[in-house]
Amino acid sequence: MATKSSSTSKTKSRPRKTKPAPGKRAQNKQVIRRRIVKSALNLFQTKGFATTTTKAIARKAGIAEGTVFNYFRSKEDIALSFFEEEVDHAIAAVRDNPRLRKAPLEEKLFTLVHSQLEYLAPYERFIGAALIHALNPASHLGPFSHRVQQLRHRYLAFVTELVEESAPKQQHSTISWLVPEAFWIYYLGVLLFWLYDSSEDKQHTLAFLDRSLHVGVSFLTNGRP
Amino acid sequence: MAAEENTPTRRALRMASMGAGAAGRYLTYILQRPFVGKTAGQRKLKSTHTRVARRMRDEMQALRGPAMKLGQTLSLQTGILPAETVAELASLQMEAPGMHPSLVRVQVKRSLGREPEEIFEKFTPEPFAAASLGQVHEATTREHKRVAVKIQYPGMRQTVENDFKWFRTVTKPAQASGHIPKAAIDELELQMLAETDYRLEADNIDFFRENLSPLSFVEVPKSFREYSSDKVLTMSFVRGHHLEQFLAQKPSQKLRDKLGTNLVDLFYFQLLKLGAFHADPHWGNYLLNGDATIGLVDFGCAKKLTPHALRYLKNVFLYPGSRHSPEFRRILESNYVAQGKKLPAAAYRALVSFAEKFYRNVYPPERNQHERFDFSDKTFLTDYMREATKLFRTKHVMPEYLFMARTEMGLYHTLHALKARVAMSDIVRKYL
Repeated sequence: MATKSSSTSKTKSRPRKTKPAPGKRAQNKQVIRRRIVKSALNLFQTKGFATTTTKAIARKAGIAEGTVFNYFRSKEDIALSFFEEEVDHAIAAVRDNPRLRKAPLEEKLFTLVHSQLEYLAPYERFIGAALIHALNPASHLGPFSHRVQQLRHRYLAFVTELVEESAPKQQHSTISWLVPEAFWIYYLGVLLFWLYDSSEDKQHTLAFLDRSLHVGVSFLTNGRP
Repeated sequence: MAAEENTPTRRALRMASMGAGAAGRYLTYILQRPFVGKTAGQRKLKSTHTRVARRMRDEMQALRGPAMKLGQTLSLQTGILPAETVAELASLQMEAPGMHPSLVRVQVKRSLGREPEEIFEKFTPEPFAAASLGQVHEATTREHKRVAVKIQYPGMRQTVENDFKWFRTVTKPAQASGHIPKAAIDELELQMLAETDYRLEADNIDFFRENLSPLSFVEVPKSFREYSSDKVLTMSFVRGHHLEQFLAQKPSQKLRDKLGTNLVDLFYFQLLKLGAFHADPHWGNYLLNGDATIGLVDFGCAKKLTPHALRYLKNVFLYPGSRHSPEFRRILESNYVAQGKKLPAAAYRALVSFAEKFYRNVYPPERNQHERFDFSDKTFLTDYMREATKLFRTKHVMPEYLFMARTEMGLYHTLHALKARVAMSDIVRKYL
């Protein structure tokens, strides 16, 4: 993943008279933004989503409550940003990994979903609660919110891209148009499995992910398992 | 590696499905569950729906390695399968599904904290061998040592636990009738759970590396603890060929005799001298060389004998007198008495018959007989199975004997495949 720390900032010994570099402000904003998301997620995880206030988030992040609103409209907004980051992170984990360039579809999809789960792992309790919360039709986290739909669309477009680059279209079976819908349901299934997996180090989820992708991908490419 | 058609697994699958129809006992079900699917698969099933179901089942079975091993061990007790089949089964390896490089990386990172490429100077992402519960990769350490890294498929421990839960349920009637003693299931579960912890295997490697050093023809790997955990085991590379590869090179009779002799020597040195033995007779665990040396790998299943069991074995082997004598009876009884049991008449008869009709032939007790036993004729296997079946049917077999019988079967099977001629008694006598 491309991150902020790539620009040079080793000139601290010499006092500078010029204005800070143009990227500096944006960089600072990025740092604060991340701090807010991280603090919020920690609170969601420990105190619960419903009881966490933006005030508490600000306190934890060490900033004024008003500052939070410079970045986010609400705590739902923060949660959504986190999920967007999670998807970005997972896509990058597949895209930017040179080892996966020639890997079979199965392995790419494994890396995609596994990266998501790894990203979510520190906030497991919150993820479980968020899934329930998302069932509320009025919720901003719900499947009907515009941003959530956009995010899902981006995620599934990437999955479709992976499927298509794995083989020329005509080689896929007639059911390949089902892929995005089916994969979304599959992903939610994996998420639920993971949440309820009480095995040590969630080893069962790993096995389940591996085996189910194995079956799924061969079904997709051969039209039969 | 051998062509797919010829893998021991395939052969065993075919053989098992042939034999499984022969009798309708509880264990038929257990044997069938992991195996019969393949034969059914030969028939073309038309509807996609059925095919999906079948594939799912095959996939789940792929995770069911432990159940297979279980059926394999217990198949020794039932006598429902022909002798050669059981011998094949005894040396069959339980295989976990293969892992792609990304899963390998995840598994290593979770277990050792870093990805294999960070840990080793060189790491081959493709495995070079399947292992029980996982697969083996070649690597080079930062100290430029060539090593084999065994990595476990996720969730094997839980799979073993679940398999046993299932197994205990379906065998309730067989347990009640005494056909499958509860103690035997407990023993198996304990052993198989132990196999899922590679740290215990590293302990075994260290033990055998030290204690087998008097045998110059045996090579045992060295464990690398700093690169090992419960799910990853790093050990030095051991050279050699699997039995099938070895036989494909058409080794001379002399070499096969020498190797057979060394294999038997290795077995009885462990059994009678160390009182502990490598109890996984899968032939992939024995690497054979043209100079008649043996590389020993996969120490997941090692068994220790109790002192009284060891004493019993020493007394009973090569017993010189009549095996119908009161003294021989006392020896047989001693093993049961030591465990607070009585030797039932049926078990006594079966043991005497076993000693007479199998052991006396293969291990003649007379001191002047240095004749080599020829393992190329399979009659001895049939004899062994017939006698073992009689014994197991009495339902009074010591649980620890399960593992010994399995290893012994594996050894005989290898000797048969080698068509080796071995002076069995001379070897045993060295360690009495």
